[in-house]
Amino acid sequence: MEIEVTGARIFATIPTGIPILGDFHITETLVVSWIVMAVITGLCIWMTRGLKVENISKRQAVAEWLVELVDGFVGENTGHKPQFKRLVPFIAALFATSVVSNLISLTGLRSPTADLSTEAAWAIVVFIMITAEKFKSMGFVGYWKAFTEPIFLMTPFNILSELATPVGMACRHFGNILSGIVINGLLYAALAYLSAKLFGLIPGAVGKLLSQIPFLDVGIPAFLSVYFDWFTGVMQAFIFCILTLQYINNASEG
Amino acid sequence: MQTQDLVTIVPWTFIAQICNLFIQIFLIKKFLLGPIRKVIEKRKMLATEELDKARESGAQAAAMKEEYEKSIADAKSEANEIIAIANRTAEARADEILRKAAEEAAALKNKAAADIEQERKTAVNEVKDEIGSMAMEIAGKVIGREISEEDHKKLIDDFIENVGDKK
Repeated sequence: MEIEVTGARIFATIPTGIPILGDFHITETLVVSWIVMAVITGLCIWMTRGLKVENISKRQAVAEWLVELVDGFVGENTGHKPQFKRLVPFIAALFATSVVSNLISLTGLRSPTADLSTEAAWAIVVFIMITAEKFKSMGFVGYWKAFTEPIFLMTPFNILSELATPVGMACRHFGNILSGIVINGLLYAALAYLSAKLFGLIPGAVGKLLSQIPFLDVGIPAFLSVYFDWFTGVMQAFIFCILTLQYINNASEG
Repeated sequence: MQTQDLVTIVPWTFIAQICNLFIQIFLIKKFLLGPIRKVIEKRKMLATEELDKARESGAQAAAMKEEYEKSIADAKSEANEIIAIANRTAEARADEILRKAAEEAAALKNKAAADIEQERKTAVNEVKDEIGSMAMEIAGKVIGREISEEDHKKLIDDFIENVGDKK
């Protein structure tokens, strides 16, 4: 029995000839990302169809609730500072993309978040925002000076801890999703193996035929998926957004 | 099919995902946040308007109530006044009627008394005349001669006078 957990498949390669970046690969990650974007945008358009001021539909109620939810979430995690209201679209997009990306694995597609490139992209954006906020609150000189505090000896560690922020965020999210995939792969393989052994006990051609079908793979993995897909999927998106807001909020306080 | 490594950062995917995130921000802004905020803003404006209207109509109602109460009070006092006037008029009328009735009664009584007196006088005169002539006749027959009417007239008159008074 062999279990293989691989990275995203590459559907097509567009040669670019650019030295460091290399060829452009249209990978599973990108294709599913576009599907995710289409799903989110489609949901947005569907929910905001026929908006009314009075006698609102259930769709509109959900849409308004979601908007207020994001507003409240951003407000709570940034101490209700008015200048951070502009983060609402960013957080909404980040959270929606993350959740839908994580949960799209339920349909059999490969999550874009199961590719470290995705989380790294998000983390670098957050990192730039944090740094920009620090520049704003501490000033250019103050920002660099802060690395040598409290004593000059600490500089390397301070730089490390600064870089650890985006790396940690990206790896936390990626690791959780990847572990789900790995464990799911293991579980499916194990159950298929068990199924083959179990039905192989039936003598003759019937046993041979039935042992080919992994019966145990039906149903049982769904229970595990409640944790690895649903819980982890929502939780990691939530954590990523909370950390983003808290880091930016802390940065603004110097 | 070719696959990429399990844990790796592919530069183009990395760049594409950054772009995708910003495109998603734009799309969410355009298709969810924008329209919803517009509707909520509109509803807020409408609610404020309604509230203002309600406040205004409340003030109007209060003013109307005050006016109404005032006019009710006015009406009450007016009614009282009317009743008082009516009472007074009625009393005056009653007095007048009573007075007139008494007057009339007195007049009637006086007239009746005068009439009776007149009647009596007439009757007395008639009787006087009759008795006078009868007496003259009787006396003439008794005496057999004509007595002077002039002589006895006075005697008879006195008699009748006494008779009349005795009645």
